[in-house]
Amino acid sequence: MLELPAIYAENIHRWLPELLYYSITTLKIAAVSFLLSVAIGMVFALLRISKVRLLRAFAVGYIEVARGLPIVVLLYIVYFVPPQLFPELDWRWFDDFTGAVVGLGLHGGAILAEVFRSGIEALHKGQREAAVSLGMTPAQSMAYILMPQAARIVLPPAGNYAIGLLKDTSLCSLIGVNELMNDAKSIAFADYQPMAVFVLVAAIYFAMSYPLSLAVRYMEGRLNVSR
Amino acid sequence: MGFWQILEVRGWYFLTTLLGGLPATVLVALGAIAFALVFGLVIALLRMSSWRLVRVLAIVYVEFFRGTPALVQLFVIYFGFPDVGFQPSPFQAAIIGLGLNGSAYLSEIYRAGIESIHRGQMEAALSLGMTPLRAMRYIVLPQAIRTMLPPITNLSIILLKDTAIVFAVGVVEVMALARNLVTETLQSAAIYLIAGVIYLCITIPMSRLAARLERQRQAWQ
Repeated sequence: MLELPAIYAENIHRWLPELLYYSITTLKIAAVSFLLSVAIGMVFALLRISKVRLLRAFAVGYIEVARGLPIVVLLYIVYFVPPQLFPELDWRWFDDFTGAVVGLGLHGGAILAEVFRSGIEALHKGQREAAVSLGMTPAQSMAYILMPQAARIVLPPAGNYAIGLLKDTSLCSLIGVNELMNDAKSIAFADYQPMAVFVLVAAIYFAMSYPLSLAVRYMEGRLNVSR
Repeated sequence: MGFWQILEVRGWYFLTTLLGGLPATVLVALGAIAFALVFGLVIALLRMSSWRLVRVLAIVYVEFFRGTPALVQLFVIYFGFPDVGFQPSPFQAAIIGLGLNGSAYLSEIYRAGIESIHRGQMEAALSLGMTPLRAMRYIVLPQAIRTMLPPITNLSIILLKDTAIVFAVGVVEVMALARNLVTETLQSAAIYLIAGVIYLCITIPMSRLAARLERQRQAWQ
């Protein structure tokens, strides 16, 4: 343990630039799969509250399965199963990055669907009617009355999901995506310095996720004022 | 052979092979939950200590373990600890890694549970001559348990799902056997889907249970 500073002093100029370079891939995976999760989450939140029973059942089934599967298993299923199920199609475009983003997106979509649903359900119909009857346009009532109320419910859990997602990108190394974790593994074993490298990588993940969690806490504080 | 044919001919073999890893999966999950239940309480109590330094250390612990991926924590323990003179077995590394990770989350659940009990309860117990630890054990925690049970069940589900990554440190559980079987037979579609079904058979009933506990708690309040 005492040698760690000496090890860092000797190697950090080689390790850090490379690890930071692959952190960009990690952030890219997180960002794209977050956007995909939001899109999938919106669709399934609407299906989940649909008046058509079949659509509702479909949404519930999807949410249960995508949330019940370990993320690694979901990643393996998304990345390895479709090409074998439909071998007649062309799968050359389906690389590990795409597989990772789709897998994380499907998982996040299920989580955000429930978050969005609770946001939508919290909006009482009377709120909109009251706003319109006060002379607001529908757009104004959306911007000043409905959205602020929904945001209060949706933003903190969506932010917490984003933090979890950032950490979950490390699982993409298991299907072979060249991101931070995968690069850390190759450096650690090439240089025989697992302790030093993995502790450094932990610090890099922390540096990325901690500001996010501070932001979520700030949001929780700000959005809670009127409660 | 098509997918359905494979499933018909070899499905049973795949299923029974993967189920061979279930005891290891369950053992790691139970070990990690037990570890987290005990260690999380310690952290929660330190977090509420009257000594500032102890409080700060507990906060740093919680923030660090919640702010870094479980996979990195497992790697530090399994590949890193030998550098400082402790070589854990894959099982030890998995249970310690997931257990430490879970304890950071559990300490917050404990804290929220303890803080939900009115201060007067603690004060009354102390004024009856109980020590703080006895008051915690006999007065506060038994009342807090009802609030804490649903989130503890949810955390258990998360830890069980997290066991699917411990093959990365060499534990031979369901996912490790699935990967081996794919290398052997190349039938990734059937094998990973069966593995998925095995996990769902455990996690979906557990999340139903968590939802029921939560409804009971709300009805009780």
